[in-house]
Amino acid sequence: MFYTDYDEIPRADYACAAYILTDCCKNFPNYTALSKRLAELYDASINSSTSLGNWDKRCTSIRASVLDNRYALDGEDLEEEMCGLLRECILSPNAENGAFDENVTALMRSELIDTIDSVINDKAYYASQKAAENAFVGEPQEKSPNGTHEEAEKVTAKSAYTAYMEILETAHIEILCAGSSEFSAAEKTFTEMFAGADLNRHDICELSVAPSVLKSEPKYVSDSLPMEQAILRMYFKAPNLDDKYANMMLLMILGGMTTSRFFMNIREKQSLCYYCAATGSFYKKYLCAYAGVEPQNIKRTEEAILAELRDIAENGVSENEMSAALLEIHNSLTTLYDSANAIGNWYLNKILDDKIQSPEEYWEDVQKVTSERIQAAARLYKLDTVYTLSGGEDV
Amino acid sequence: MIKKIHGDIINETCLEYVHKSGVRVFMLPMEGYSSAVAQFSAKFGSQDNAFSVNGGEYRKVPDGTAHYLEHKLFESEEKDAFSQFAQTGAMCNAGTSFDYTQYYFSCTNNFRKNLEILLGFVQDPYFTPDNVEKERGIIGQEITMYRDNPNWRVFTGLLEGMYKVNPVRNDIAGTVESIAEITDKTLYDCYNAYYNPANMFLCVAGNFDPNEVVEICDQKLQSRLPLDVKSAPFDEPNEVNLASTEIKMQVAKPIFEMGFKRPSLDGQAALDEYIYYNILFDLMFGGISDFFMKMREKGLINEEFSDGVFNGRGHLFPFLRGESTEPLAVAEEAKKTIRAFKKSPPSKDDFERVKRMTYGGLVRDWGSVSSVADTLSEAALSGNSPFAVLDTAAGADYEKTLEKLDDLDEENTCISIVENEIGDY
Repeated sequence: MFYTDYDEIPRADYACAAYILTDCCKNFPNYTALSKRLAELYDASINSSTSLGNWDKRCTSIRASVLDNRYALDGEDLEEEMCGLLRECILSPNAENGAFDENVTALMRSELIDTIDSVINDKAYYASQKAAENAFVGEPQEKSPNGTHEEAEKVTAKSAYTAYMEILETAHIEILCAGSSEFSAAEKTFTEMFAGADLNRHDICELSVAPSVLKSEPKYVSDSLPMEQAILRMYFKAPNLDDKYANMMLLMILGGMTTSRFFMNIREKQSLCYYCAATGSFYKKYLCAYAGVEPQNIKRTEEAILAELRDIAENGVSENEMSAALLEIHNSLTTLYDSANAIGNWYLNKILDDKIQSPEEYWEDVQKVTSERIQAAARLYKLDTVYTLSGGEDV
Repeated sequence: MIKKIHGDIINETCLEYVHKSGVRVFMLPMEGYSSAVAQFSAKFGSQDNAFSVNGGEYRKVPDGTAHYLEHKLFESEEKDAFSQFAQTGAMCNAGTSFDYTQYYFSCTNNFRKNLEILLGFVQDPYFTPDNVEKERGIIGQEITMYRDNPNWRVFTGLLEGMYKVNPVRNDIAGTVESIAEITDKTLYDCYNAYYNPANMFLCVAGNFDPNEVVEICDQKLQSRLPLDVKSAPFDEPNEVNLASTEIKMQVAKPIFEMGFKRPSLDGQAALDEYIYYNILFDLMFGGISDFFMKMREKGLINEEFSDGVFNGRGHLFPFLRGESTEPLAVAEEAKKTIRAFKKSPPSKDDFERVKRMTYGGLVRDWGSVSSVADTLSEAALSGNSPFAVLDTAAGADYEKTLEKLDDLDEENTCISIVENEIGDY
């Protein structure tokens, strides 16, 4: 994971650079050549993405995965092979004279534009992006990490390469290995990789995150697209929130499980929507309630969501709700160990904490949450933004 | 009598038996894992929209009935299934596909209690006129949500174009009109027919004790008079129903899916089709192919392009899908590529590469508890060994791949397209 600051280089350049790094490299100069090598390594994969990250920083992620050596039919050391390939993709891209290969750049620029444009195909995702533009004005989360169509059109082989060098030279780098291995090959590869690379590391990105700014008055925004179901997204913010465990319990009880208030009261009892759930970020101090509703039920659903949060703020939660949330959290925490991706993400999401907790340590603390603490967390949340996307012809 | 089936490649052993109630049980304990997944399923999917019991007359039920039933089975006279699972911490859900309905949980604690709840609520229907009516709005909204999804619409468009009479061409959830006809009686009639133990199977994978499963099955599985339930047969022509289908929605770029019609097969023959056409289509159209590189360079496809094989009870076909400003040009090029491969077969090196890739992808599935449970359920449904897919891929043969290539009719295809209805947005 390469964390970088949002700077004057357009977001699209960083996104395009990430695309290029895993499409080919010097030794495998096009996607077909790289795909053939990955096929030989038993469906190994190398992927990249650019995401907002949790820390107000851009996260360029380059991930590789490969089978455990014991399944190799010819006794190959798959971990070593894969680490070597990953190193090539990161440090030996298909580039020369300070620019990526022109043809590869043109292809990746075109695919980046397609990715940016195709957000419209997924109405829920489109709604989340448009809602974020209004909920996080002036913050890194306001805009897509891929940048805009217009920015993407301007990406050149040189500008993407400049973004790539910015990543290598200034990023806060986290290396994570997870799976059924001791990762001796990975440790050796990555130690040598950065020790041997001729990089001018400078102005290293410092991870930090600021609470999202709460608006003085809630902002209401409505958009329309030709669609049948409407989407409602409500953002609540709590800049002074400091109890992450109570916040987790609040999210679960409000809209994080099949016996949550949103599911049981808004979907099942009132039949207002097909889905209604809650998500949020303790680091950015916001909570987002979202629902897929019939257009005529938008207002009632909005009121029902407000009523549930208000009820917890005024009356707390029941013993049954506490117990169900704790059991579900425990189940989620213990299941983490069954997936290399899940346990890896757990630790990556904790790197800014004062103390990086294991799932067991987190469980110890979350059990101490009381109804009063959840009530106190709920009281801190104030409505910030209400975004609706519903049927119509205008965009 | 519990039968042990050993998978040599991944060195795992599956236990299989038929419970005295008639329910078929598959168990695969996995060492070193924290969670367990149990899936309890009925061979009743959206395609089973007409049935006969014990040789009686076939009766039609509204499209979407299997899915409606799945929604309602969570409800009970006292405490619904979600509330029961809330007391154990398990994650539970259900899903209806074209050919079966599955109820499942995933847990790391209270396995015994969770399995008791699962077997309990699936065998205890509680349908009333009121609670069936209440669900109509929620399901209507689910149907609406899918109607807004161009990827789902392009897929259902393809099924309508591929098949003339096969009921897989009908949407899983039905339509707002068809579900309006569903009553509590419809649901009880279907439940009594298809949720007969002999038509059901239980698959468990992960961290659990098989003896405990056997014990709980003995306590909770109810014996009922065996019924001979048959879904109405149909005579699907070999030819596609339509060469193309098209709808308009707001999409950035047209989306397409192209299917290559194949006859329906069962057992190992269906498995062979599945594996060999996966290999063949990856050879011709996957990331390693000239087709992929050339079409991408021409800007006719992008990274969204993929190939695969859609299969289930009574249906199987290889397909291509992607985004393109010129889907028909991509389709023509795909047909040309097949003709070229027939004249000049792929190299053995490329075949071995793709075979390895297929093998690797399947081995990877055995590292996930839920994927293993899915594999067991697919085996229960198809009648094949849970290890048969992996064994078939590992033993795939070059000559047989070429036979499958010769057998492919590149003209018997349908392309489904979702065009942009507005143009630039």
